[in-house]
Amino acid sequence: MTASRISLGIVAIIALAALIGPPFLSWTHSAIDWDAVRAPLFSPGHLFGTDTVGRDLLARTLVGTRVTLAVALAAAIVALVIGTAWGAIAGWVGGRTDEIMMRIVDGLYALPFMFVVILLMVVFGRSIILVFIGIGAVEWLTMARVVRGQVIALKERPFVTAAEAAGAPASRILTGHILPNVAGVALAYLLLTVPQVVMVESFLSFLGLGVQEPLTSLGILVKEGADDMDIQPHALLIPGGVLVLIIVCLTVAGERLRDRLSQ
Amino acid sequence: MRVLLLRRLLTAIPTLLGVVILSFVLMRLAPGGPFDGERALDDDTRAALDAAYGLDLPLAEQIALYIGRLLRGDFGPSLVYRDFTVSELIAQGLPVSLTIGGLALLLACILGIGGGLWAAVRAGRWQDEAIMGLATLLTALPVFVTGPLFVLIFALGLGWLPVSGWEAGRPSHLVLPVVALSLPFAGAIAKLARAGLARALNEDHVRTARARGLAERQVIARHALRPALVPVASYLGPAAAGLLTGAVIIETVFALPGLGRYFVQGALNRDYPLVLGVVTLYAGLIILFNLVADLIYGWLDPRMRAE
Repeated sequence: MTASRISLGIVAIIALAALIGPPFLSWTHSAIDWDAVRAPLFSPGHLFGTDTVGRDLLARTLVGTRVTLAVALAAAIVALVIGTAWGAIAGWVGGRTDEIMMRIVDGLYALPFMFVVILLMVVFGRSIILVFIGIGAVEWLTMARVVRGQVIALKERPFVTAAEAAGAPASRILTGHILPNVAGVALAYLLLTVPQVVMVESFLSFLGLGVQEPLTSLGILVKEGADDMDIQPHALLIPGGVLVLIIVCLTVAGERLRDRLSQ
Repeated sequence: MRVLLLRRLLTAIPTLLGVVILSFVLMRLAPGGPFDGERALDDDTRAALDAAYGLDLPLAEQIALYIGRLLRGDFGPSLVYRDFTVSELIAQGLPVSLTIGGLALLLACILGIGGGLWAAVRAGRWQDEAIMGLATLLTALPVFVTGPLFVLIFALGLGWLPVSGWEAGRPSHLVLPVVALSLPFAGAIAKLARAGLARALNEDHVRTARARGLAERQVIARHALRPALVPVASYLGPAAAGLLTGAVIIETVFALPGLGRYFVQGALNRDYPLVLGVVTLYAGLIILFNLVADLIYGWLDPRMRAE
């Protein structure tokens, strides 16, 4: 339990800093300090130094983290809603409907899904809203499978049979008796989906296909840092480190929660 | 088993067809086209270009034409690399991507299975905890962070290996890309192998083997190893898909002339035939890898063959 608490704590601190930090800095993430281009670490006014055109790296890291986390959370919630609805209906109705719905999920699983997301980016233009709709629309598959399994198991439980015998309509049994029992597992998978989406968003932004300037994200910062790492390695190490920390901590917390609930 | 494979093949065809049609329609929905440059074209030039590339035909006809050409191995002309057909770009780039992906898969299997089994044998001891902690860390490391980091340490810092580029027959250019690409998959495979062996060691037939007085080494090698690897086999399909995806980043970071780099260039420049061709090809490859994974699965678990 302690490992997951520490992990969540670290993520909470990073998220809080990203959320409330930027207004307290003297530089915004896109302002250029002409007197301090490529400032090193710990220079006056720029704690993390500046990039190749003199933008403050601390401000950029905080804003980038904020954008990355916001996109990830939004996309994970899209995935949660679609996946839960899809899985619950398939598991509850059963029979042919279930088979067809799960075949569709199997078929989509076989897709080179990152390429499909890139295709969506190419088609609809590179906008931040589409980044998360696109990601959320493909990340729901695992959620649908998990929720379906849970619903099928719950369907046979006495309290559901009792509700049916008492004449409760299917919609009430689903929302009142089944979904509350699925919530815990769904939450664990939500925690596991967020780092997945963080990874996808950074992947896209790294290639120049995700979040676009002047907005920034951790993926863009890693890319910019990688291009300049022979001169100032910290431009790569700081955003890269924050990114890895977020992914590791959320994965650890999610896996612990999932394992605890499935026992 | 044969029936199962046949059924998989039969579902693969509509899946592939669906991918092609969906991608094609999406591509055509896109606002803007490959001929929207800095200078606006006059109507006649645009009409001539559209006619030359078949963009003036009805959508259904375009799709039918495209699928017909695909069946003959013709992916159409590239709109950005004007002197090349998409088939030529694939012929140039795919061998590079497959070399990197194949070597990375091999390395991931060796490291992952080795580490996972070693941890399972020492279950509950500190070696187990250490390996599993490392595996979790590895699965969380994105290749676009490890790639540049490796270049920074091993190429720029220590000078042991080349920074980037590709020269046929020079294995030193392959080391960093392959290692960086394989690590997350090695971590995932290690977790699966450890869980698989831990479960297999608790099964009845393994207890029987122990009761017969076999040495632990023999118990594992002859009775527990095959069932232990079943979860790893079922991960091979998704792993292949992930490796192809990761190769896109690796090729960009290390400036390798693989298909993934052409794909990114195509995506940034709205090169429809190129993007469409790569998505179709990769969907086909991933379906193929899943079939191979099913075969391995059937070989490891006889119950699968009976179905």
